[in-house]
Amino acid sequence: MSLFIGLTIAGLATGAIYAIAASGLVVTYTTSGVFNFAHGSLGMLMTFLYWQLRVADHWAGPWALGAVLLVAAPIVGAGLQLSLVRWIDINDTGIMLVMTLALLVLGMGVAYAIWPADTARALGPFFGAAAFVTFLGQRITYEQLLCIGLAVAVAIGLRLFLFNTRLGITMRAVVDDRPLVALNGWRTAKLNALSWAIGISLGALAAILQATLFDDLSVLNLTFLVVNSFAAAMLGRLRNLPLTFVGALVLGLAASYVTGYVHTQSGPLAELETVLPTLFLVIVLLALPSVRLRVGAPPARRSPRIASARVSGIQSVLVIVVAVVALPFLHGTNLGAVNQGLALAILGLAVVLLSGYGGQLNLAMYTFLGLGAWLFTKLSPGGGLGGLVLVTLIGAVAGTLFALPALRLRGLELALSTLALSELVWYVLFNQSNVMENTITIHRLRLPFISLQGARANLVFLAVVFALLAFGVAAIRRSSFGRLLAATKDSPAGCATIGLNLSLTKIGITALSTALATFAGALYGSTQQQVTANDFYFYLGLFIVLIVYIWGVHSPLAALFGGLSLAIFPVIAPHLPAWASQLTYLAVGFGALGIVINPNGTLDAVSSRVRAAWENRQIRRPAAAPLREEARLLGIPADS
Amino acid sequence: MAFLQTHEISMRFGGIDALDAVSISAEPGLVTGLIGPNGAGKTTLFNIITGLQPPTSGQVFLDGRDVTSMSVYRRARLGIGRTFQRLEIFGSLSVRDNIRVTVEVRRRWSRQRIDIKHETDAILARVGLEEFAKVPADTLPTGSARLVELGRALATRPRLLLLDEPGSGLDAAETEAFGLLLADLAQDGLAVLLVEHDMDLVMKACSHLMVLDFGEFIASGTPEEIRANQQVQDAYLGAEEPPVGGITEPGLAGAGAGAGALP
Repeated sequence: MSLFIGLTIAGLATGAIYAIAASGLVVTYTTSGVFNFAHGSLGMLMTFLYWQLRVADHWAGPWALGAVLLVAAPIVGAGLQLSLVRWIDINDTGIMLVMTLALLVLGMGVAYAIWPADTARALGPFFGAAAFVTFLGQRITYEQLLCIGLAVAVAIGLRLFLFNTRLGITMRAVVDDRPLVALNGWRTAKLNALSWAIGISLGALAAILQATLFDDLSVLNLTFLVVNSFAAAMLGRLRNLPLTFVGALVLGLAASYVTGYVHTQSGPLAELETVLPTLFLVIVLLALPSVRLRVGAPPARRSPRIASARVSGIQSVLVIVVAVVALPFLHGTNLGAVNQGLALAILGLAVVLLSGYGGQLNLAMYTFLGLGAWLFTKLSPGGGLGGLVLVTLIGAVAGTLFALPALRLRGLELALSTLALSELVWYVLFNQSNVMENTITIHRLRLPFISLQGARANLVFLAVVFALLAFGVAAIRRSSFGRLLAATKDSPAGCATIGLNLSLTKIGITALSTALATFAGALYGSTQQQVTANDFYFYLGLFIVLIVYIWGVHSPLAALFGGLSLAIFPVIAPHLPAWASQLTYLAVGFGALGIVINPNGTLDAVSSRVRAAWENRQIRRPAAAPLREEARLLGIPADS
Repeated sequence: MAFLQTHEISMRFGGIDALDAVSISAEPGLVTGLIGPNGAGKTTLFNIITGLQPPTSGQVFLDGRDVTSMSVYRRARLGIGRTFQRLEIFGSLSVRDNIRVTVEVRRRWSRQRIDIKHETDAILARVGLEEFAKVPADTLPTGSARLVELGRALATRPRLLLLDEPGSGLDAAETEAFGLLLADLAQDGLAVLLVEHDMDLVMKACSHLMVLDFGEFIASGTPEEIRANQQVQDAYLGAEEPPVGGITEPGLAGAGAGAGALP
């Protein structure tokens, strides 16, 4: 009995932290309409700032807490809203998600750059070891009481503020009808800035409590603490605060009971405590009723141009030519990086298919990459071609099953569920001793008549495969299926009213995209020849999605630039100053924020400018002829 | 017999009755107008008929069949085509591809042999958009974009056409041509249900009118009967202070000149 009471109290304290984090998420979502994937990342940054003030700079506890929670966090929250978030079209789910994912990655990069991971840091508890009360023979620490008390205070405070004050009600009204609130004389940007200030402060409070209660000051753990709060927030459908709190407490208690009662040292169940929130999130998503199709809210932005068959053919040939021409200049690390980059470029094509053409966001691309690599070594131990085909087919089926729960929901839920499932697969499958916990060796792909054993031969092969697939992917966009995808992306409601079964179309594109991702995984494994579970860590999937968005998610060429960038950044980073050592995080994070300015990506922005300059030149040219004629009539020499 | 029949459809949003036991019908070969002031519940009723919104209570019958719990795409396949008050075109596709993709979808589910090019061209010609065929749909002015939506709806080969303010954004000449097109469509045997604020268009194009006010069905009849109906006049201009000499709005007053748009 005493164990049960102890676990219950511990569970309530953990649940209280989840509840505070989740309530911050709900506040920003209900008032600005933006789901903040960076909620945990920003909370983590604030926790490191607290450590800096409290431990490194020896500030008194209350001052340090006040500076972080009442000054830094609100400034960061309001600043982000006013400088970035306010420009997001909340009807454009893809851009909205990419923006906050970029902030997540950037937050991690900034934290690693300022507080390098090679130095051990700890945040002691707020109270000493003697600070506890006894209840039914069980010690309840002041720390635990503080967490529970703060959660109760936050719950009551938010409820009163959002439902009983004019300011709170107006903040909620902004997300329902922003123009109407503006017409009533409110400045919506300021209202949203206030909600972001509150939200980020709550995220910071939760992260600081987590770090002190569990003595865990880790960039990764604090950043992804938010996945636990996602689960609680989704139970309340991102709007209902009481249900969110219930979800958080259930989750905290369940995690605590699993820790206390389920004793397994190995096997998938050993990770049950870790994956419990993820499992909870998947179950909540499965249980959510289907969302209605939205009417009258298409995103307002210019559609990018689609390359003709001739242009994409030329691009494909150029890719092969450049690869062959560059071959003599590539050696050692660079040669390996370009090989890896081309395999990742093929993965990027899967992103173009699903996100660029289909408008869906799958954050589990690295899971399929890992699945492809692992299955290839199982099905084709000698590197045979047959295994590659099988791997691709399995990828299509797995992807469909993977995305099925969220297909009837919105893009946000699909993104969330894929992130959650990728975490689940990593812990339960990839990181098992009989899978990829330790390094596994993969045989290089064997083709008839051609040997790919050499890195240069492999590079040319990958370039040819990429070129063919890029041409094929572009051809899909121009096909009748491509038109369907474009239509589905532009107006789901319009599609349904012309008799289109949206779920079937989504399943089709998801299967195609995950088949391609798994195929890329087999080639990635064949290229790298040695991989471990850490190569496919669940959050790495964010990077390939973001980098393809940066270059322009509608273009197969963006996959090439994206894949190569991801492979080359780690090669360049050691040669840069210390602050830029986290080049991948910083470049991807900052770059992806740029899509607020160029929603169609860098390649589109560049080609639009080149095209505009060319067209301007064409317009000026005819004007010269009559001027020359006039000059001749006036007797002015032609060369003057 | 009416192709569309709604039976006591009610829709509540929180404490507000957007629709209160509304029963309407639309018959083949007729253009039926559904009018009422802003907020009367016309678009909500369209959303319920097409399946985009489930009603709080009541049923929707299509050709005598209860389709209340049927999905949007299945209803479309049964013959409901619609346009939207706030445009829902496929902006990244050309005008031609907006029609073409719809014909392709129909060919897929109907398993009929359809000459896609021929049918696409025919629809483009019918709505008068041939010269814009290659233009990206998201660059069109609102009036032309509404015609794209109409063409797309026609490409589904509907038996019932729901048009939600198709006249907004059209100039006088386009509105005139649009009225003739509506008459043509009715002659082809379509049941057309028209929501429109341009009363000139409504009075000229519709043979029968139904009026909603604050979610309640308040009147139905010929345009002349509706024009003379006191309850309708009250709904549009307020019951407390009836205007001297009745309604002076060009359409309802029967003056017939100019495009009279009610609030």
